[in-house]
Amino acid sequence: MLQIKDLKAGIEDNQILKGINLEVKAGEIHAIMGPNGSGKSTLSAVIAGNEDYEVEGGNITFNGKDLLELDPEERAHNGVFLSFQYPVEIPGISVSNFIKTSITEKRKAQGLEPIPTKDLLKMMREKMELLSIKQGYLSRNMNEGFSGGEKKRNEIFQMAMLEPKLAILDETDSGLDIDALRIVANGVNKLRSADNATVIITHYQRLLDYIAPDFVHVLYNGRIVKSGGAELAHELEEKGYDWVTKEEDKKWA
Amino acid sequence: MGLIENLKSYSEGVQISAEKKELFTSFMSKGFPTTKDEEWKYTSLKKIVTKEYTIENTGEIIDSSTVEKYSLGFENRIIFSDGKLIGSPNIKGVSINGFSNFGSNTTDSILQLNKALAQNGFTISVEKNTVLESPIEILFFSTTENNFSQYRNLISVGDNTEVKFVERIQTLNDSTSMVNHFTQIHCAKNTKVEYNKIQNNTPESRLIDTVNVYQEQDSTCDINTLIFGGSFTRNNLNFEQNGSNCESNMNGISILDNNQLADNHTFVDHKSAHCRSNEMYKGIYLGHSKGVFNGKIMVRPDAQKIDAFQSNNNLLLSDNSTIDSKPQLEIYADDVKCSHGCTIGQLDEKALFYMRSRGIGIEEAKAVLTYAFASEAIENISVEEVKLLAQKLLAQKLNVDLDFSL
Repeated sequence: MLQIKDLKAGIEDNQILKGINLEVKAGEIHAIMGPNGSGKSTLSAVIAGNEDYEVEGGNITFNGKDLLELDPEERAHNGVFLSFQYPVEIPGISVSNFIKTSITEKRKAQGLEPIPTKDLLKMMREKMELLSIKQGYLSRNMNEGFSGGEKKRNEIFQMAMLEPKLAILDETDSGLDIDALRIVANGVNKLRSADNATVIITHYQRLLDYIAPDFVHVLYNGRIVKSGGAELAHELEEKGYDWVTKEEDKKWA
Repeated sequence: MGLIENLKSYSEGVQISAEKKELFTSFMSKGFPTTKDEEWKYTSLKKIVTKEYTIENTGEIIDSSTVEKYSLGFENRIIFSDGKLIGSPNIKGVSINGFSNFGSNTTDSILQLNKALAQNGFTISVEKNTVLESPIEILFFSTTENNFSQYRNLISVGDNTEVKFVERIQTLNDSTSMVNHFTQIHCAKNTKVEYNKIQNNTPESRLIDTVNVYQEQDSTCDINTLIFGGSFTRNNLNFEQNGSNCESNMNGISILDNNQLADNHTFVDHKSAHCRSNEMYKGIYLGHSKGVFNGKIMVRPDAQKIDAFQSNNNLLLSDNSTIDSKPQLEIYADDVKCSHGCTIGQLDEKALFYMRSRGIGIEEAKAVLTYAFASEAIENISVEEVKLLAQKLLAQKLNVDLDFSL
């Protein structure tokens, strides 16, 4: 589904990603872990198409398409979804209106008619139940005055509504208390299918207690320095990132 | 030649009363205001008054399909075609008449001209203790080419009465027409009046629009102004609060492009204690458009416990658009709450990327954010049809096919 080859990217003159290689197949869950400043969020931003970052080399293919050639909205139409680490507040637009617009625009790009409002509201209610979201939430302004946990839940709610092929969850666990973490993880697990894939970007292992990854990668200094199965996450939790980074620092010293 | 000459030769050919003649002479001695006049500092009439205009209304009577095209479909409609009253509803408790010569003292040259020459307009009296559910729609159509017309209207609302209006001025040709529009509204005790102005005229049309509102105690008056069309729009909105517990609300939404200019001048005269005023003006500027906002609030010495709020928020969506915004507070009482705020900004890049990442195209994302910016003022409008029209025109102006309702 997703192939990243020797991806180099940065912001202004500062190279952050120094050659990333990653392959994600349908049905898989990958976790990308790493210490702060290793390039985790840059990777997710580049996949989603954030123009603040400049791609200096390498390529990203998504279901056979050159992803880097596509605008952010086209990536979304093709099934890429990024759950933001810091979701943006948009006063004046309700959650329901925002989601309606985004689904309508995606369908328009696919040559499909808008979903009738009645059906859309029904779908929203189903997904709200899945994520234990309270009534009244739909008419609130997009992320305005939301707590950290509510914002993250809103991201997963949009993911549930948009049904992406590839979901990248950027630090979705940060700002979540244990109950919210369980609800969000439960949602992600229920939305999982053989046709979609999830990339979880996280600093801590705790989300991975609820969502079992097939692969775990350690990102450090702009490179994936170690890959393994779910057990790697536990090992990291036990030994700390030093265990990997020291070895790596020696190599490049 | 120019408008002044056109007016002069017109006046020589018509019979007007001595009083009107005096007003006309007074206007001629002052002429139109210039940018040297403090109230017109940022808005120049020069280009507009050097053009040629016809002063007389000699247009044709319009058909019903034209009316339907511009009407929002309300049951009660007052329709003017070139100043002639061609449609007037029968509403219990409401008397509607054509033009009347009501008095008003003014030193403003434009209003003097209006009084001297106006022969068009309406007079509406709403009896006391009347509640009208459906708004009264007022449509002014003009078919005369390059016409400079004067409309003069009077609305009197009796005690304990509730009424809403939706007004629209529409030119039915592409000429450079101009309207000098004056409306005087009297709100008696415990009344609730909402007046919606839809200013979406043809690209070359010009409008100078003055509304004077006189409020008695316990009355609430809302004036909502939507500016979408016309090349030049100047709104003078004046409230006089003459009793306690009055509330004056103003909502304005302007979305301009090309070389459009819109100037909103507001004045709230707080003459009595325990009153409120709220102003919310939102301006969106594209192309080479220009906006002016001047909000004057006067709190007289005995007007204690006043709560006055004013905000003017502007979104500049192009490098060539400009806005001049000026709050003007004169407070002579010591126990009052007055606040004002003005912002000028662009769209939030972070929000744009967020929306694009959710599949909303860049133009649509800009439109949604622009709508979000204006929505606070749109939400204050109570007439659903006007709200929907504002949403529709906003999408149209931003060139996107979006439906903001759910």
